[in-house]
Amino acid sequence: MFNYNFRWNQALSSLPQMLEGALVTMEIAILSMAIGIGVAILLTLFRLSGNRILSAIATTWVEIARNTPALFQIYMVHFGLGGFGVHLSPYLSLLIGIAFNNAGYLTENFRGALKAIPDTQTRAARSLGMTPIQAFQNVIMPQMLRISFLPMTNQMVWAILMTSLGAVVAMNTDLYGVTSDLNARSFRTFELFAIAAVIFYVITKVITISARLLAARLFRY
Amino acid sequence: MKPALFTTGLLAAAALAMPAQADKLDDIIAAGTLRCAVVLDFPPMGSRDADNNPIGFDVDYCNDLAAALGVTAEVVETTFPERIPALMSGSVDVAVASTSDTLERAKTVGFSIPYYAFENAVVASEGVEMADWEGMKGKVVGATAGTYEAIWLEGKVKEWGEGEFRPYQNQADVFLALSQGQLDATVSTVEVAEANVKSGNFPGIKIVDKAPMVPDYVALITLREEYGLINYMNLFINQQVRTGRYAELYKKWVGEGEPAKLTIDGVYR
Repeated sequence: MFNYNFRWNQALSSLPQMLEGALVTMEIAILSMAIGIGVAILLTLFRLSGNRILSAIATTWVEIARNTPALFQIYMVHFGLGGFGVHLSPYLSLLIGIAFNNAGYLTENFRGALKAIPDTQTRAARSLGMTPIQAFQNVIMPQMLRISFLPMTNQMVWAILMTSLGAVVAMNTDLYGVTSDLNARSFRTFELFAIAAVIFYVITKVITISARLLAARLFRY
Repeated sequence: MKPALFTTGLLAAAALAMPAQADKLDDIIAAGTLRCAVVLDFPPMGSRDADNNPIGFDVDYCNDLAAALGVTAEVVETTFPERIPALMSGSVDVAVASTSDTLERAKTVGFSIPYYAFENAVVASEGVEMADWEGMKGKVVGATAGTYEAIWLEGKVKEWGEGEFRPYQNQADVFLALSQGQLDATVSTVEVAEANVKSGNFPGIKIVDKAPMVPDYVALITLREEYGLINYMNLFINQQVRTGRYAELYKKWVGEGEPAKLTIDGVYR
């Protein structure tokens, strides 16, 4: 039995605040993705470098990021570092936590993409006189990014949804934080979270569709 | 047909045709179980003992209410934000969860008369200079998300126009952040503040001042339309005070001193 009368007008009056929250959510997702891609390329280079210490760093990062809950990672950024006197704001804790997670997953995506690129290409590039870095930058990396483009949009969707975990580090300006704050005041739980769910859905849908269109334009042979 | 048999048949038909509307109170008594939503990271009102059993003032109130109804109590742990979904979806009958009786919330749920009243204290990190509650202005402050004191404090920070407000998910995280120095100050109930300072779990915190808020009256909640149950809960709360059980449980969970008065001069409720 479900005992609840929906009062949409009361909840909808909070829509402007929730949309502002949605902007913060998108901002964090985009920034965390940009940082994540940068770090993941770096970690991929570490792995390719053949240096044992560098590739150990990359492996450890990937192992922790992929095999522990994102909630734990974000919590540790805030309270774990906090224990050592490093105090990050909720916004930064969430951003760094998600970026850490993104970097780990993307590194694995890139590894998969690299496997799809024949070794002979590197050899060909090197025999043309390119340095290893030039070969990676001009020949391998563009293909790697192309192959892993759609998996990357997958991670982007994850990043958006992960922003809701910011609640554990007292984040209250993102979409989830705003919604849960409104809920504490009015107890209109079901309307508020239904609206939040729709906003999340729309954001992720827009991003996946535009990524697909972008991919079709960018990667025409 | 014999007249007597006919009358009996008629009565039986009438009884079957018009079943009385059973309300929640009937349902609870018929089921033999009272399911209470209790928040268990909110000592001394609700917490867990060393064997992980629920204990606290709210847990005892749930048990007392069940005993009065002649049914067994079942404590369902919820967080503050989960109280309402638990009620609405029918997974609990009532919430004995220190719920502040705001008018905004009363549009959605049914409140009993208050069964407890909290006063709130300002607790600060020891490294922070703070003479009284107004010292919180411009500082990084936080409280447990979804509570009366959090709503008050967030309002104050907005009013001051400086400083930052952070709502953590539970009481333990608030005090952890305070102890680490991530927060400069928090507002929490005097009961919680004293228990946490005394426990030694959170070094480096001190009670600064009382928070100048209207006492936080908390009530039992159930569905808004369950008048039968709400009436029963009102009488139950009255009886708890009358019989001295309220004072007894206050002494057991909070400590020496007088429990807060639950009436307000000059107005009916």
